Amino acid sequence: MKVNGGELKVDLTEPEVKWIKDTLERDPSITELGMFDVMWSEHCSYKSSRPKLKLFEDAEKNYDYVLAGPGEDAGVIDIGNGYALAFRIESHNHPSAIEPYHGAATGIGGIIRDVLCMGVRPIALLDPLRFGTLKNNPHSQWLFKYVVKGIADYGNCTGIPTIGGEVEFDKSFEGNCLVNVACIGLGTVDDFRHAPSRAYNPEDYIILMGGSTGRDGIHGVTFASRTLTDMSEADRPAVQIGDPFTKKMIIEATIEAIKTGYVRGLKDLGGGGISCALSELTGDGGTGAKIEMRKIFTREPGMNSYEIMLSESQERMAFIVKPEGLEKILEIFRKFEMAHAVIGRTDDSKVLKIYDGDKLVVNLPSIALSESPIIDREEKRPEILDGLISQKTPEPSSNLEEIIYKLIASENICSKEWVYRQYDHEVGVRSVVKCGTGDSGVLRIIGTNKFLASSVGTNSKHCFLNPYEGAKGGLVEVCGNVIANGARPKAMVNCCNFGNPEIPESFWYFANSVRGMADFCKELRIPVVGGNVSFYNEDEVNKTAIKPAPVIMIVGIIEGVEKIITLPFKNVGDDILIIGETENELGGSEYHSVMYDIEGGLPPKVDEKKIKARWDFIFKLYEKKMIKANHDVNKGGFLISIAEMCFKNKLGADLDLNNYNDTNLRDDKLLFSESVGRFIIETEPKDFEVIMILAEKFKVTVKKLGVLINKPEINVKGLASQDIKLNIEKMKDLYDSTIPNLMDI
Amino acid sequence: MTIKIAVVQFPGANCDLDAMHVLNNVIGIETSLVWHNHFKEAEFDGVILPGGFSFGDYLRAGIIAAHSPALDEARIMLKDGRPILGICNGFQILTEAEFLPGALLQNDSLKFVCKWINIRVENNKTPFTHKMKNGDVLAIPVAHGEGRYFADNLKELEENEQIVFKYSDENGKYTQNANPNGSMENIAGIRNLEGNCLGLMPHPERASEAILAPKGTTHGKLFFDSMIEFIKRRS
Repeated sequence: MKVNGGELKVDLTEPEVKWIKDTLERDPSITELGMFDVMWSEHCSYKSSRPKLKLFEDAEKNYDYVLAGPGEDAGVIDIGNGYALAFRIESHNHPSAIEPYHGAATGIGGIIRDVLCMGVRPIALLDPLRFGTLKNNPHSQWLFKYVVKGIADYGNCTGIPTIGGEVEFDKSFEGNCLVNVACIGLGTVDDFRHAPSRAYNPEDYIILMGGSTGRDGIHGVTFASRTLTDMSEADRPAVQIGDPFTKKMIIEATIEAIKTGYVRGLKDLGGGGISCALSELTGDGGTGAKIEMRKIFTREPGMNSYEIMLSESQERMAFIVKPEGLEKILEIFRKFEMAHAVIGRTDDSKVLKIYDGDKLVVNLPSIALSESPIIDREEKRPEILDGLISQKTPEPSSNLEEIIYKLIASENICSKEWVYRQYDHEVGVRSVVKCGTGDSGVLRIIGTNKFLASSVGTNSKHCFLNPYEGAKGGLVEVCGNVIANGARPKAMVNCCNFGNPEIPESFWYFANSVRGMADFCKELRIPVVGGNVSFYNEDEVNKTAIKPAPVIMIVGIIEGVEKIITLPFKNVGDDILIIGETENELGGSEYHSVMYDIEGGLPPKVDEKKIKARWDFIFKLYEKKMIKANHDVNKGGFLISIAEMCFKNKLGADLDLNNYNDTNLRDDKLLFSESVGRFIIETEPKDFEVIMILAEKFKVTVKKLGVLINKPEINVKGLASQDIKLNIEKMKDLYDSTIPNLMDI
Repeated sequence: MTIKIAVVQFPGANCDLDAMHVLNNVIGIETSLVWHNHFKEAEFDGVILPGGFSFGDYLRAGIIAAHSPALDEARIMLKDGRPILGICNGFQILTEAEFLPGALLQNDSLKFVCKWINIRVENNKTPFTHKMKNGDVLAIPVAHGEGRYFADNLKELEENEQIVFKYSDENGKYTQNANPNGSMENIAGIRNLEGNCLGLMPHPERASEAILAPKGTTHGKLFFDSMIEFIKRRS
C-alpha cells in the first residue's frame, strides 16, 4: 500500500489498516506501518491462536510455585532452596526449511535469549526435530545433517549442553521440516525478580548491546506467517545469520550486569527486532520512551528507519538501566568488548517516539502495537479421517521375529546416537543422566540435593488421527519420560506446529490439540507456563500440510540423588514387570507404517484416572526403593522397550505373555500396539508380592512378563502363533547402524 | 602456604566455570577466575587454560587466544617451571602459542564428538600425572571438533617421553575404535620438554566427581591432586 514515505507491501488486512488509521487519526508512516505489519503478524500476535490458548488454566493464579506464566519470554517456576528455573520452547521451522544450518543455529540463539532475559543463566538445550523419511531422500538427509550441525555448532560454542531431544521422520515433513528448540535457565528467585521484561520506571536509560543491526532477517516473522511456496527460496535473505561467540559474550556480560542490581528491565531482540522489544518493554510497563534511532549501531551505511526498526539481526539485547548505574553497566560491556549504545530514555508519556535525527518517524501509543486484533477461525474435522480410522491391520505377512528386527531398525525407533554425539551434552558439569541412558536428561542443581529432569516430544502420527487424544498421549509420554527417571513433572510448555489456520481442517487440528493438552493438564495438575505457535507449515506446491505436532516439553524435579532411576536393566534374576494394559491401538503405529505403509487404524486413547493411578503407584514403589530400572513404552510397543533396556549391560530376558493378554489380542496387536502410559520396570523377586498388593490398592494393572537372564537373547512364550527368539546383539547392531548407514556416506 | 591457581577466562571459554567448580568445591583450593587481559603471573603458583571456543575458534581453534597478553604472562611461568595445564581448547591454544609441539586438526569424522572414552597413562613423571601409574586406564570424556593430534617429529616426542596419554580401550589396548578423532598414534595428551606444561583433549574437570561418571570413577581428580601436590613440594 502507498503511505507517507513510500510504498510498502504488507500482510495486514484491510480492516486492520483501517483500525490503525482510525486509532492514530492519521495515516501511519512507512516505518510505523512496517512495525504494525510485523507486530500483528501471526507469529508475534498469536491472533488466530489466542482464543484457543485461553483454554489453558491460569498457571500463575492456580499454582503457587509458578513465578511467570504464558505471555512472558519464558515460564519460570520456584523449585525451592531459593532457586528458580526458566524454560521455553519455540519453533524455527520456516528458516530451517530454507537454510537448515543458519536456520537451526539462530533458533538456538533466539531461545537462549528468551531464557537469558528472565535474568537466569541458560544451562540446557533440548531439540525436538521432524524431517521427511531419510531413505532414498537426499533432500531430507541434507536438512537433517545441517540442522543437527547448526544446533551443534551454535550450542556447543555457547557452552550450554544439549541434554535431550527427539527426532521423528514422516513424509509429511518433507517440504516443511520442524525444528523446535527449547532452553532451560537456572538462577536465584532474586535474579529473576530483579530484571523483568518491562520498563516500569521513567528516566531510565535504554541500552542496546551486542551485535550490530543489519539488513538480514528483515520481516522474518511475516515470512514465518506465510506458507512455503516454490518462491520461498527467494526469501533466503529473511533468514538470519548466527554468531555463537557473540552470544556467549552476551550471556556472560548480561549475567554480570544483572548481578550489579542496576538493570531494571531486560529484553531480547528477536522477531520484530527493536520495534517489538521497545513496544513490549514500554507497552507492558506502562511507560513511554524517546529513542534516537541513529544511535543504533548498524552493520552497513545507508540503512533507512524502516530497515533499522524492523531488522531481525541476531545477538542483540535491550537493557533498561537505573540512571545511577549507567557507568557501571557500560564498564561491564566494555570489559567484554561488546558493542553497545545508549539509544534513549524511558518517560511517563505512554508514547513511543522514535527520532531519525530531528525527524519524528514513529509516534505511537506504546500499547498500540501489542493490541493486535483477534481472529476467530473456522474449525472443520477432515472428512478423510473416518476412512483412515476404520483401516484394518492386515494379517502379519512375515514371522514376528522378522517384524521386530525391521522395527528396531526403523528410522523412528533406532538409536539417535548419531545426533547426540555431535552435541556437547556434558559441559557445565551438571549432566547426571546423559543422552542414551534415560528417557529424559537429568541435571544436578549444584548446591542442593535436587535434580531437574526434562524431556520433549509428541507423536504426530497419533495426533493426525485424533488430535485431542494424540496431544494428551504426547503429554502422557513426555511426563512418562521424566517419571521414568524419578522426577515429578512440575510444569509444561508447548510448541504447536500446524498447517495454515485459514484452512478449517488445519485449524481443527490445532484447536483440538489445545483442548486435549488443556484438559489433561488441568486433571493431572500440571501448570502450562508458556507456549509458542507455528502455523503455515504447509507446502503450497504439493498442497500438503504437516502432520499436527503439538510438541510438549516437561520439566520435573527429583528430590535427592538416591531417587534417580535409569533405563538399563541391572541384575540377572530380577523380574520384568509391565504397568498398564495394552489395548487394540495400532492406529498411527510404527508397525503399521513400517510393515504396511498405512497411516490409519484406531489411535491410542488416554484415560486420565488410570494414568494418575499409575504415576502415583510408581512413586509409591520409588519411595519403597523397589524399582531398579524404568522405561516408558513408546513407538514399536513393549518388546522394543525391553530390548532397549537389555542393550547397555548386555542382558537378556525370558518372557511369558500368557498371563498378560486378558483381552485375547492377536499377537501382532499385543506386541506392537502403542497404547500410551505403560512402563517396563525391573524389580526384585522378593518384592513381587508387596508390589502386587500395592497394584491392587492403587487400582493399577501390573503383570510380570518374565525375568532377566545372563544371555543376550529375548525368548518369548505364550503367544498364539509362535514362540519368539531374538538375538540382542543383532538387535543392537540394527538399532545403532540405521542412521550412520544413511548419513555417513 | 596458600596455593593460588588461576583459571584464565578467554572470551568464549566455556569450561572455565567447570574448572573453577572442581578446584574450589571438589579439591578445595582457592582459585581465581581471571579475565585474559587482566592476568598477572606473579600472583599465581599454577595456571589452567580451560576448554571452550576462545574467540569463537574463528580463523582456527586457539590461534587468536594464543596472541592474548595472558600467554606472555604464562610464558614467564613456563620458563620458571610453574605448572600450566591446557584442557581441550586450552591444549589448542598451547600448541598455537608453541608451548607444546604439534597441532590439533579437525576430527577425521568431520564431526564434533562428545563421549566418554579411555586414555592410558604413558608418562607419570609430570606435575599432573605423578599420582597415576604408567599403564593406568582412565575414564574421561572428550568433547571437541578439532582434536586430531598431529606432529611431524613423532620420533623425537617418543624419545623425550613427551607423550603423556594415549586413547585406548578399557583394557589399555590402542585400537582404532578407541580413538575418537583419528589422532596420530592415538595421542591424547602431550607435555613440553621440561615437563611443566601439559595439554590434553579430554576433560579432567568433567571426570572428577563420581556422580558425573558412567561408572562412578573420579579419575579426573588425579590431575588436579597431582598438580597441587607438585606445587606444595616445589615451594
